[in-house]
Amino acid sequence: FQLRGSNGSYTMPFHSIYLGFPDTSALGTELKRNLRASDQVVIADKATDAEAQFVLLGESRNKSILSLNSLGRVREYLLTYTMSFTVRDAKGAELVPPTQISLRRNMAFDETQVLAKESEEALLYRDMQADLVQQIIRRLASIKPAT
Amino acid sequence: QTATPASPRPDEQDLPITMRAEEFDGRPDRILNMVRNVEITRGATGVTADTACYRRVDDEVTAEGHITMWRFGDRYKGDALQLNLETGKGWVLHPEYRLALNNAQGKAQRINFLGEDQAVVVDGTYSTCEGPDPDWYLKSSTLRLDQGRDVGTAGKTIIYFKDVPIIGLPAMSFSLSGARRSGWLPPTLGAGSKGSAELMVPYYFNIAPNRDLTVFPRYIFARGLQLGATGRYLGETDRGPYHGETHVEYLANDRLAHRNRWWVDTLHNQFLAPNWTYGWNAHAASDNEYPSDFSRTVAASAERQLLRELRTDYYGKYWNLTARVQSYQVLQDPGAVANPDLTVATPYNRLPTINFHAGRYDVLGGFDWAVDAEATRFTHPDDKQVQGDRANMVAQVSYPWVHPGWFVTPKLMLHATQYNLTHNAVGADDKISRVLPTFSLDSGLVFERKSSLFGPDGTQTLEPRLFYVRTPYKDQADIPNFDTGIAGFNYAQLFTENRFVGADKVSDANQLTAAIVSRFIESNGAERLRLAVGSRYYFADPRVRLNANEQSNQKRSDALVAASGRISESWTFDSGVQYDAQARSLYSSNVGMQWQPAPMKVLNVEYRFQRDTFGLANGFRNADVSGQWPLSQRWYGVSRVSYSVRDRKLLESLVGLEYKADCWVFRMGAQRFVTAAQTVSTTSFFQLELNGLSRLGFGNALDTFNKSIPGYTRLNTNVGRP
Repeated sequence: FQLRGSNGSYTMPFHSIYLGFPDTSALGTELKRNLRASDQVVIADKATDAEAQFVLLGESRNKSILSLNSLGRVREYLLTYTMSFTVRDAKGAELVPPTQISLRRNMAFDETQVLAKESEEALLYRDMQADLVQQIIRRLASIKPAT
Repeated sequence: QTATPASPRPDEQDLPITMRAEEFDGRPDRILNMVRNVEITRGATGVTADTACYRRVDDEVTAEGHITMWRFGDRYKGDALQLNLETGKGWVLHPEYRLALNNAQGKAQRINFLGEDQAVVVDGTYSTCEGPDPDWYLKSSTLRLDQGRDVGTAGKTIIYFKDVPIIGLPAMSFSLSGARRSGWLPPTLGAGSKGSAELMVPYYFNIAPNRDLTVFPRYIFARGLQLGATGRYLGETDRGPYHGETHVEYLANDRLAHRNRWWVDTLHNQFLAPNWTYGWNAHAASDNEYPSDFSRTVAASAERQLLRELRTDYYGKYWNLTARVQSYQVLQDPGAVANPDLTVATPYNRLPTINFHAGRYDVLGGFDWAVDAEATRFTHPDDKQVQGDRANMVAQVSYPWVHPGWFVTPKLMLHATQYNLTHNAVGADDKISRVLPTFSLDSGLVFERKSSLFGPDGTQTLEPRLFYVRTPYKDQADIPNFDTGIAGFNYAQLFTENRFVGADKVSDANQLTAAIVSRFIESNGAERLRLAVGSRYYFADPRVRLNANEQSNQKRSDALVAASGRISESWTFDSGVQYDAQARSLYSSNVGMQWQPAPMKVLNVEYRFQRDTFGLANGFRNADVSGQWPLSQRWYGVSRVSYSVRDRKLLESLVGLEYKADCWVFRMGAQRFVTAAQTVSTTSFFQLELNGLSRLGFGNALDTFNKSIPGYTRLNTNVGRP
């Protein structure tokens, strides 16, 4: 093992990127912030100005029942966060083919704490969002520059 | 079967007509009579017959004996024919026909051609099955096939299945190509909750491409006629997009309960301006027994606290503001009257709650700051419960040093909270304020090495992380619990400052969390496998309690081990173990495996355990097995069993069988699940889906399979997907 970055492997293979997220997207904001941290990358305001274009194909959250107790009441929920995207270069050629990333978290549940569980759900979605951003960044970093 | 909508046909009026026969007579400019092996063609239209006559002035063919006619791929065979080559109008007697569009075929007394795209089949049959002896067919007095509009409209119709009449309809219509359009969905016959037989015949209205409505008339023999409807819409105004969905069920004058019964779910989200949205999410039911009496899905009976929420959100560049009003309808467990332990708790209403968040990253040379402020009025239907207003603000500032290989983030937080209570206990303080600071230090390293475990050029990471939190103690026993609980123990929670979620309690802390994550990453950056180990150490026992009977906490905390990933293309697994070091026992554990070697072949096995945490009957020890598997070439089985090992009780069981023929699918199944303390619901259903007639094929049977069996694939997936 060696410290990441010591061999320069964690640099982005492009200098500017356009992120196709709505302004109100928390995921987009977080991704922007993480990309800015690696200082060679510029976030472009327009798709036409960027070497790479991140296209969001879909983003969805879902909550389903995972476990019931003997009374038929929910004791565990499964939270899933699914996002699909593709990355294209300035000419529209695919740098990353349409890719889906799906994350899941289990949340214990109890009716006496329904309001608290609402906050916990938000915490878990924030955690998945941070996780998702890291996974996207690893996918971006693995792009093979067109030769 | 291909399902492509009719394409515009080329205009062939000007093409030359070719005629062949063994004998010709007549006048070429007026009438031509042809005898033996006659063949008349123009472009993609043609007729062969024993004898024929062509009238030049009308551009019309009449023919007799061993007629074959074809037009743009559609074929007709019959005894006699008349066809106007200019208008496409005409008729054929005693025909057999086959349409190119969807391979539909049938026989008739007569077919009248109303034009190039339209034909009326008189006293005929229609089927999308192959072969001379179709498994199912329609028999109609008149059936209008309009390929231009892609619709089949039948008059009085009887549907035959295996030559047995199964249903008669005064009229019906369907899409010829299988596109999404209004029509009947496959009817479902079954036994509902509490054993009452019921018949449901849903009808789908395709109002517009972005709007539809499904109506579910359901006749429950013991109770009466229930009407259900689901409407969905999405669209865009000049201010932004909107979407929503509403489901209602209504049964007037239930013959068993002697009252009206109903259920509503409604959801809506809309942009009022580019940065401003509003929406609602509301559920309501007529009475406490509704989920037990009518539940057809596990989800509908397991949730007994029905949320009603109206919210609006405004997003600025560095801040956002949310205002909500929220209340709950509680459907009390019928068993709670006899046994108060079964009571479903009634949450506080928030009327209203206003949240403000502001924050910026990377200011003043690298600082991050954020402020979260909230003002809420908590009310409760029970006057004996303490109620009141709470204002809460959390301000935080941090200075992250982030490098590809390591990070260190010191953070300071300040919690300031103010209560103004009513309905409080005699002598208790109605005005409480609390100010508490928190300091935390988060730090981590990221190591990498090459790994060829999942293909060449893979990477394995090793990410150790340390997280220290210090919060001083303040007695908070006077503060009520409006919306606060102990956070579930999971990886995300290990790295939060407060062991409670909700603003009513701020845990005192002098604790260190240590964790290591290792990931296996493919060369394209995809994460294949993740292993995580974490543990929290308390240097001092936290003294703030959620309530008086919460157990004293531990010096050494729980430890957590989790592993999840995709071992190969067909194997996926997910597992986690949380170990309570103090009590020397498992807090919770889960192990799950999915094997999906091919579509329509999936097996899931899962074991889940959780120790009692909050009170009685809160833990569980469940085993789940589910799958879909081909039993023979045409039979497929689906099954799910969810078993509570702890109570030795079956929580949910489902058995289903599906038979897939070339032009129809038959499904049957039975499901049994717990709906309340002393009630279980047993439902069964039968459904026949005729490809090409009721193509959306949606309904309870499929819904049930889809929800209960992770990885379930629909058998005739190629049909009816618009």
